Parts: sequence; C-alpha cells; structure tokens
Amino acid sequence: MKDRSSDVLREVAQLAANVGPALTPARHLELLRSITSAAMSLFGAAACSLALVRENQEELEFHVASGAGAEEVVGMRVPIGQGIAGYVVSSGQPIAIEDVTRDPRFAAAFAEGTGYVPRSILAMPLETEREMLGVIEVLDRRTRGAGLEGAGEMEMLSMFANQAALAIENSRVFTDLGRALFEAAGAAADGTELSQALDRVAQTAPGPSADLSELAALFNRLALVGPDERRLATRLVGEVVAFVGARRWSR
Amino acid sequence: MVEIKPAWSEQFEPGRLRQIAPLGLAAPITKEWAWGGATGAGVKVAVIDSGIEADHPAVRGVSGGVVLEYDPESADADENGMVATHGPHEDLYGHGTACAAIIRKVAPDCELYSLRVLGARLTGKGIVFAAALDWAIENGMQVVNLSLSTSKQDHFAIFHEIVDDAYFHNVMLVSAINNVPSPSYPSQYAGVFSVAAHDGKDPFSFDYNPSPPVEFGAPGIDLEVAWQNGSFIEATGNSFAAPHIAGLVARILSKHPGLTPFQMKTILAAVASNVT
Repeated sequence: MKDRSSDVLREVAQLAANVGPALTPARHLELLRSITSAAMSLFGAAACSLALVRENQEELEFHVASGAGAEEVVGMRVPIGQGIAGYVVSSGQPIAIEDVTRDPRFAAAFAEGTGYVPRSILAMPLETEREMLGVIEVLDRRTRGAGLEGAGEMEMLSMFANQAALAIENSRVFTDLGRALFEAAGAAADGTELSQALDRVAQTAPGPSADLSELAALFNRLALVGPDERRLATRLVGEVVAFVGARRWSR
Repeated sequence: MVEIKPAWSEQFEPGRLRQIAPLGLAAPITKEWAWGGATGAGVKVAVIDSGIEADHPAVRGVSGGVVLEYDPESADADENGMVATHGPHEDLYGHGTACAAIIRKVAPDCELYSLRVLGARLTGKGIVFAAALDWAIENGMQVVNLSLSTSKQDHFAIFHEIVDDAYFHNVMLVSAINNVPSPSYPSQYAGVFSVAAHDGKDPFSFDYNPSPPVEFGAPGIDLEVAWQNGSFIEATGNSFAAPHIAGLVARILSKHPGLTPFQMKTILAAVASNVT
C-alpha cells in the first residue's frame, strides 16, 4: 500500500514537472502579448513580434506576435546565423532598416516564413545583465508618434525590451524552480532524502540557478495570487525548509 | 521617411552639445594637418563583425581574414575551444560589409581585415571575442572596429582585460555604444573610442562629447549602407557610426604613424565639429 502511494506520488510529481511549465506562463504570455501590442500601437506599426533564443543557443523561436502575420510567425524558428533578428542577438546592437526588400535574399526568407514581407524593421535585443534572451521586432512602423522625438524610437523600444526581458527572466526562474521542486519531490517519494534529491536536481537542471534577487522577484509575484494559494505556498516552502534543516542537523 | 534618433545621439543635437575651447597650442591642430592628403594607405584595419563581402563594389577587396568559432568538440580546437579558419569567407548578415564600406569610404587605401566572430551560435561569445582581439594584436592590426556590445556581467572582466591589452599595444579600438542607456561593454571602457550616431551625413564631420562614456558622435542615422549580395540598404544604428571614426583614425595614422590612443583622441577632439 505504501509502495503504491509512493508510486502515485512520484507519477503525479513527474506529471506536474512536465505539465507545469505549460500552465504557469499563462499570465506571462499575456504580459508579453500586451507588450507587443502596446509597442505596435505606439509605433503605428503593422506588426510586432518577440523571438527568444532557444536552449541550443543556435536558433531563435518566435513566441509572441501582434498584427500582420502574427499567427504564422508564432512557433517559427530561425537560425541565429542569419537575418536581422540573428544579427541583433549576436551583436547585442539594435538596428533599423528602412527597405529590406532591397536585399532580395532577405526579403524572400521573410516571405517564406510568414507570408508578410515588411519594408522596414526596427529590431532591439532583449538582454539582461545575465543573458541574451532574444529580440523584439517592430515591422513597418507608420508614424513616429507623439513624444517619440528627441528621446528617439530606439530608446522607446528599449523600454519595452527591458520590460519583456525581465518578465521572461522571471518566468524562467519560476518554471525552473517549480520543475526542480516537483522533480525532487518525485525522486524523494521512494524515501530518498529530499535534500539529496534537491541537490541532484540542481546539478542536472538546465539554465541559471535562482539567486536571491530572482527569488525576491518570485515572492513579489506570489503576492499577487489569492490568499489561499499564498498560504499553501508559504506552508510548502516552510515544510521544505524545515525538512531540509532537520536533515542537516541530524548529520 | 521615418527619422530615428538612437539613444545617446540626442546629446549631439544643436543646443545640447557643450561647446569646448581649443587647446591653445602654438599651432592649431586642423583637419588639414590631421589627415589632409592622407588615404589610410598601409594601415591595417580589422572589422570584428559578421564577415566582409570582399567583392562588394563599395568594399573593393580585403587584405585577409579569419573566421573564429567556439567549438570545443572540434579536432582543430585550441586549448580555449577556439577554431580559427583563415582565408576568404562570406558575410552572414551584411553588417560587416556595411562597416567595411564606411571605413573604405573614409580611408580608401587602408588594408581591411575581416575577423568574423558573429555566427551560428551564441555559446562562448566572450571567448570568441577575446580570441578576435588577441588575433588583431598578434597580427599587427592598428585599428579595430567593434560594432558589438554586451550587457552581460560575465563578460565585464574579460573584455576589460582585452581592452587594456589592446590599449597598451597602441591598437585603436573603436566601439559602438549600445543604443540603450544601460551598461554595455566594451564601449563604456575608457580605453576604447566610444561612438554613437549623430544626425549628420558628412563622413568627415563628427562631434566630441566631453561628458563620456560616449565620446564621439558620427553619422549613423538613415544612412545608405552596403549590405550582402552586393546590395545597399538604408539603415540606422550606432553600429554604423563607429566605422566612420575607425576610418578617420586609419586616415590619421597613415599620415602620423606611431600615435598612441590618447594622442589620437586629442587630435580627434581638436578637429571635432563642435570645437568653436
């Protein structure tokens, strides 16, 4: 009986680890979409999209888009070694090009992907002090818009880029931490010490580990959920800390 | 046509740029003295970028080049995991060609070298960059154009060390500052010639900003630039301002060999357009 419940717990934990990342970023995607649609309307643009560097560090994948060709572009992958988006994440430099159709190879590649060939592109890296995350692109902006003079369009887009970069980084930390905890819980279900399981997960987990500032950001997000969920999260964290602390003392 | 003003460029707008007094030397440093009659002949200029399309009509040939890639799995990798492939190569994006053509316009007889560091993957970017700078120093490059930047803290120390190394070898590193007002390396180090776009179009006219980190303003807004496949496009970015200064530095060096980076900065500051 005990064995069976351990199995069930392990399976549930594994399921949660696998499904969790697909469920948790719902609000995160919403936020990114609001950033692309806000940028699109501010620039009077035909479209705005956001592509992220994939784990292999060799491709970009379009995650969110608003406007023309949005449905087609989401999910599209492009190699980092070519194109405007690839240049921007490789060089760390924003660029604006007014007439991409004058480079026939480039225009053809774009059309193949989305069916929409822009004339102009404004592209800005999404970068934090920790990593290069991706690129935000504004296609065929029509007006400079009120308030854009002086400070400049690039600086304006950089504000959206900063916001998006921080949101992406926070979400990744949340997802990675959640996955690590669930995997550790699954591994510990057979009686393995939880701290050891956590250590093992930490050693094999992809991506950067969460430092204190990122944890603080996570807690900040936690403050936005309902009181019941918050109590549950607090209890969970408390239990983990108490469990790990007790095991350490006993050594 | 939509006009774009990248960040950092607004301080070069009329009325905002501080006017600075001449140094008061016995004989003034003039553009004529600095580069009059010079062509950049004999000066080696490296473009660390995406490659250079050597047969582009605006480039008119390169003197050499190397593709530097981080690939520790390769049998050809050195102890740092770097693979160097010498010889001709294409431009992956068009950007390196744009920079090379700008340098060629300002210093028509300089020797251009393509150091391709941008490529298929982001892994090991700091190491690739370091290898390129090392290559430039070891192979006698006198001017290096870096239209690249990073905000990544992990790169801070390694870039700093390389920039100092280049400075002490009298290698003039000309670097585009990132268009966003956040930390950007190596353009914010004192050892580089840090450049942002100003609103002018004249390749021989630039501004000096006495309030660094960005020191020079050069053309980079709505410019007609060379691009891949022999094409030309209209583009904006601080990355196009840097090669204007790199070209001028090459031109000055061909007339006044042996200058150090701070002497070069003094000359540039003396002939900047906002010196009145």
